Amino acid sequence: MITGASEGFGKALAIECARRKMNLILVALPGPELYSLTNFIKRNYLVDVMIIEKDLCKDEGCMEVYNEITALNVEVNILINNAGIGSTAFFEEGTINFYEKQIKLNVLATTIITRLFLEMLKRNKHSYILNVGSMASFFYLPKKQVYGATKSFIYSFSKSLRKELRKDKVHVTVLCPGGMNTNLRLTLMNKTGSWISRLSVMNPEEVVPIAIDGLLKRKEVIIPGRLNKFFMFLDTVLPEAIKKIITGHGMKKLNANNSYSRYLSPEPVMIPVSRGILPNLLISYSAIKLLL
Amino acid sequence: MKILVTGATGYVGHSLALTLAQQGNHVHILVRNIKSSFIPQHPNIHVFAGDITKKETISIAMQGCEKVFHTAALVQHYASNPSIFYEINVEGTRNVLDAALQFGVQKFIFTSTCGVIGTSLHEPMNETDPRITGFDSDYDLSKFLAEKIVIEYSKKGLPAVIVSASKVFGPGIETHPISVNSTIKRFIEGKLTFCPGNPHFISNYVFIDDLVNGHILAMEKGTSGEKYILGGESLSYAEFFQAIRSISGTRGILLPIPKSIVRLYGYWHVVQSKLLGKEPVFSAKSVKQIYCNKSFSSSKAINELGYSITPFVKALQPTIQFLNSYLCITPAIQ
Repeated sequence: MITGASEGFGKALAIECARRKMNLILVALPGPELYSLTNFIKRNYLVDVMIIEKDLCKDEGCMEVYNEITALNVEVNILINNAGIGSTAFFEEGTINFYEKQIKLNVLATTIITRLFLEMLKRNKHSYILNVGSMASFFYLPKKQVYGATKSFIYSFSKSLRKELRKDKVHVTVLCPGGMNTNLRLTLMNKTGSWISRLSVMNPEEVVPIAIDGLLKRKEVIIPGRLNKFFMFLDTVLPEAIKKIITGHGMKKLNANNSYSRYLSPEPVMIPVSRGILPNLLISYSAIKLLL
Repeated sequence: MKILVTGATGYVGHSLALTLAQQGNHVHILVRNIKSSFIPQHPNIHVFAGDITKKETISIAMQGCEKVFHTAALVQHYASNPSIFYEINVEGTRNVLDAALQFGVQKFIFTSTCGVIGTSLHEPMNETDPRITGFDSDYDLSKFLAEKIVIEYSKKGLPAVIVSASKVFGPGIETHPISVNSTIKRFIEGKLTFCPGNPHFISNYVFIDDLVNGHILAMEKGTSGEKYILGGESLSYAEFFQAIRSISGTRGILLPIPKSIVRLYGYWHVVQSKLLGKEPVFSAKSVKQIYCNKSFSSSKAINELGYSITPFVKALQPTIQFLNSYLCITPAIQ
């Protein structure tokens, strides 16, 4: 079962799982994208695909998903908590409504869905939970306050839960990708970054095989991409004071410098995405520059 | 009838403008260089100097036109400054659409690419299938953005249709250094021709005559706000070269090259361009576009427009004849 499956990273996950002959339950907001994806997967792979159209931001959304699945007598043995809302904006620019929605989806929905399906997962011999975090859970970046914090929650939650559920043979993995081209806005933003940050940006279809491989190998934390791993390494070796300077410097670099940026609206808007992963372009760029 | 064709010095626009003129239409063409050797020659063709990035020149050329074919675009794999794709393919399209809406044009056809739909898996892709890979090519991305603007204008009241061409081949002017035609030409000349290491990758090839015909059909019957794939047969690289070999009898040697080597070559191209200040024809990223399936279904166009596909082997005959007659002339690279 994949939440937030209709576009971006969720879509790529769905296709990758179908490629591995897994039957799918796709949960996403109502809309035509989910149907065209299902149609596409069924035409290309011999797997069953079930659709559940639900808004997980709503209080009853998660419960309704669970009820629908149990009513159909379907067993879930791989749960992928992917649905989430990304954002890149100063704290004062976001509305209370938006933050509420972001926290509800990124934190609450993941928690509730996992809790609801826990019994079902335990019943199976081996079950897997993949929670989609972000490299933003390791860095405290400006413009990523709430988003980063929700991803830090996912990180702690997953690592802790992993210890608890080991005896039940439920394997919990947290995926922490760097910048990804998950939607048009991010694709354009990533194209406007510096060359080194562009190099670190991955396409969802490049990340998903790493994610599913790691999940099935029961890895605890997955950081896809060599460059991203390198940044993580830098982060552990660099002293805090230097990192502060880097982050401050990187912020200035956020300003897009080619005309693709015109397509992005001038004011910072919050675009909900099924998986908005922070491109940590700022740090990456400056960190590398520091080394050179 | 007066019709505006942009991009008439390009491969598709050139053929389209000539066909429309031969059918008795008055064809206005907007060209950057009125001395270009690629300008289609016909008494019904009226040349206007201008540029789709310059709004006022579009208005002059569009004066009195009831229909518009917008085929003009920057078509290349790579540009060191991707902004130019945006300026020409996105903003340029917006300019042409804007003028068309103002002039109350009856119908607008936008020539796009199947690259927007992207790579396929086992089955051919159709117009509604989700894109399964990211946009590695700035060209494809710019066409995707342009399509969004076309849809936007169709909602504003301009009857606009998108047609998506797959890989085009057949007699016509050579404006693009890496084209299906140039590959066929190289192969029939008996030169060493490289092909992807895995000859089973599938691509879709559309014959230029079918594509031109599809454009005209879309103008007649296409529904505003809709997109139609105008493709041809989907063939593996092995089938593609085998068909050419059997028709031309060429002794050309195929050299299968693994992806990694072509990628290195791509990097080298980019580095070389940085050093020499020359535009590279392709980059490491465009390699990805060769090593994948790109199979498309033209069913929607066949059912709704009455589009038809010339069998590949049949279309190859005039193509090879044309390329043979061209053998001694080096293709012009713009």
